[in-house]
Amino acid sequence: MKDETAVPLAVEPALVPARRRRRVRPGRAVSPYLLLLPALAVIVAVLGYPLYRLVALSFQEYGLAELIAREGRWIGLDNYETILGDRRFWTVLGRTVAFTAVTVGLTMVLGTLIALLLARLGTFMRLLITTGLVLVWSMPPVVSVNIWSWMVDYEFGVLNWGLAELGLDYFARHDWFVNPIEGFAVITAIVVWGAIPFVAITIFAGLTQVSGEMVEAASIDGAGAFRIFRDITLPILKPIFVILASLSVIWNFQVFSQIWIIRNARPEEHYFLLSIYSFVESFNASRYGLGSAIALVMVLAMLCVTFVYIRQMVRIGEID
Amino acid sequence: MRLRLFAPAVLVVAIAIAAATATGASQASPAKAQADALTVWLMGDAQANWPEAVAAATQSFKSRHPGVDVNVQYQSWGDYKTKFEATLSAGSGPDVIEFGNTDVPKYSAAGALSPLNRSDFPNSGTWLSGLTKAGSYNGRLFAVPYYAGARGVIYRTDQYKAAGITKVPKTLAEFNAANAKLMKRFGGAKNRNYSAVYFPGRYWYAAMSFVYDYGGQIAKTKGGKWVGTLHEPKALSGLTAWRNVARSYSRANKTGDEAHPQQALVFAKGSVGSFVGNGWEWPYALDPKVGNPALAGKIGAYPMPSHTPGKYMPTFLGGSNLAVPITSKQKALAADWIAAFTNTQNMTRMATGGGVIPNTTSLARINASKPTLAPFAEAAKYSWFVPSTPNWANVESANVLQTMLSGILRNPAKTKELATAASERITEILNAR
Repeated sequence: MKDETAVPLAVEPALVPARRRRRVRPGRAVSPYLLLLPALAVIVAVLGYPLYRLVALSFQEYGLAELIAREGRWIGLDNYETILGDRRFWTVLGRTVAFTAVTVGLTMVLGTLIALLLARLGTFMRLLITTGLVLVWSMPPVVSVNIWSWMVDYEFGVLNWGLAELGLDYFARHDWFVNPIEGFAVITAIVVWGAIPFVAITIFAGLTQVSGEMVEAASIDGAGAFRIFRDITLPILKPIFVILASLSVIWNFQVFSQIWIIRNARPEEHYFLLSIYSFVESFNASRYGLGSAIALVMVLAMLCVTFVYIRQMVRIGEID
Repeated sequence: MRLRLFAPAVLVVAIAIAAATATGASQASPAKAQADALTVWLMGDAQANWPEAVAAATQSFKSRHPGVDVNVQYQSWGDYKTKFEATLSAGSGPDVIEFGNTDVPKYSAAGALSPLNRSDFPNSGTWLSGLTKAGSYNGRLFAVPYYAGARGVIYRTDQYKAAGITKVPKTLAEFNAANAKLMKRFGGAKNRNYSAVYFPGRYWYAAMSFVYDYGGQIAKTKGGKWVGTLHEPKALSGLTAWRNVARSYSRANKTGDEAHPQQALVFAKGSVGSFVGNGWEWPYALDPKVGNPALAGKIGAYPMPSHTPGKYMPTFLGGSNLAVPITSKQKALAADWIAAFTNTQNMTRMATGGGVIPNTTSLARINASKPTLAPFAEAAKYSWFVPSTPNWANVESANVLQTMLSGILRNPAKTKELATAASERITEILNAR
């Protein structure tokens, strides 16, 4: 989930001012594009082709029989009609949006607080916490979710045991997944826990860019810690915040493995997010065309959510 | 700042990745088909309970086909269908595959399996009729019966004795009375974790037995269409009787099932008086590696009693079939391995070692003569099976029954609404093209 941050610097040529470019020999002008080619080829191969297949599938009837024949039947927009006319789809969409809002909000707030803490700590403690964060970050979701699921286990989980030992008898053999709100609280905790390190470390790196003189001047003028954060740190780090929030939205909008694993690969319908809904329709019900259409609708919904951010970012770029 | 211009590009790529991976979340890597090797997919049950039958089949197969290697890969019930479909689209995959008997009609009907010749297989004249029916479609055989299982009540004889239960229950009322006694003797304030009968909320095989016992059913055909019938009065009486047992005498997880955690192992831990289980779960509870061997001699079994005196509650006739996928390039060899695996000798191994019901009625005496197997063979006299339509597998995949059952336990007052919702969903799925 986190490895998508390694991105080629695809926008580089646009940064070369037009005036300077004209003086360059024609042969030179081609070389940046040539250098881009390998990266472009890889992106087209690993992203472009699957994307094309996905779009094509979404306009087809593609079930088990078609899978065996390895040829779908074109049905135009039927899959999309089925989805948009399905009450369950709208419920799942609403749930996904709410889940994304809560997890992204918590991730950003907690991540920022941890970054601010890191900035104030001595070297040893900072190193200790950073190590902890990196460990969390580097743990594959399958491993960490399994450990979480042991911790919240009904029979033998340490969480129930600990709470019961503290005298909260309600939690002796408490089933965390009967009530979807409690279930989602556990899932939110897992997702936020896994998402914090990236946010915290990035913001901490950004904080080192905030000049000490400015902060000092503000505090001499009588500004409190919150005021300094709001009027100095926040504006300077705004681009970082915007991109972190947008990336978090994209990642959390498609949370899959956390729910899938903790519900033993058989999530109840009230734990369906769009990603799971799409997977279940595709792989469990063997309706691959419909599942692809759901996936595409999910991406479109995600684009709507992130559109605001993208527009804002383009604007920031223009002012620059 | 470079970052500002670079940011939109990051987002575009991130979204593209999201789209491209959206449905590919867990594509399995297809098994490699080697020209001189046979790939066999069996469930982990074979590995745990009758590995010697697998070894014997492979050995006798190899003696007839020297140079052909047999590669047995053990799968899990949770994702084997997803993996199998991934190999279908790649055009490669196993040469032999085990299917649950409720899953196999979907694949026979879709043309995913190659037709087989009944006379090529041992004991085919005396195969269990339920499994033969599951493995056939439009009069042709697509999957060979492998083994069957019937569920009974597996119980602690010492606890029954201590609670003053002298005879095994013969009716559902007696069963409930016995459980009440057990709860009084071992449960309540003494041990709040104690279950007189351990009954996880999503254990639908056992829960649906109540529905069939009260004359209800999951779905029926009406005018050529399927109609979900869980909300009909008889089915509701069954669900109510089940709810009473699960809520009053069980402290099992409402959202757990019979395999999460393995109920035999919870039973082995001690705070359980009984559970509804398959024959092979009895030896599993005594397994020194995961269970508790000290319980040997303290375990018994009896058929689950019906609410009608003199009958047993119908048990789900579970089981497995073995098939040759249409994508196999060595269909004749694959069929030959199945024949070797299902011969009389290996079936005897499975029945005695694994405690399952063998695929042929000619071996019924093995089970009837062993006290650890007889109760389950006896229970199989009354049985029920899921609606026979290729679409049934999709009802299972959508977790319709499980969602309804854990919903009822959480919210007993809404039993009727939840059953109606489940019926509607079943109607929708079974009638889908």
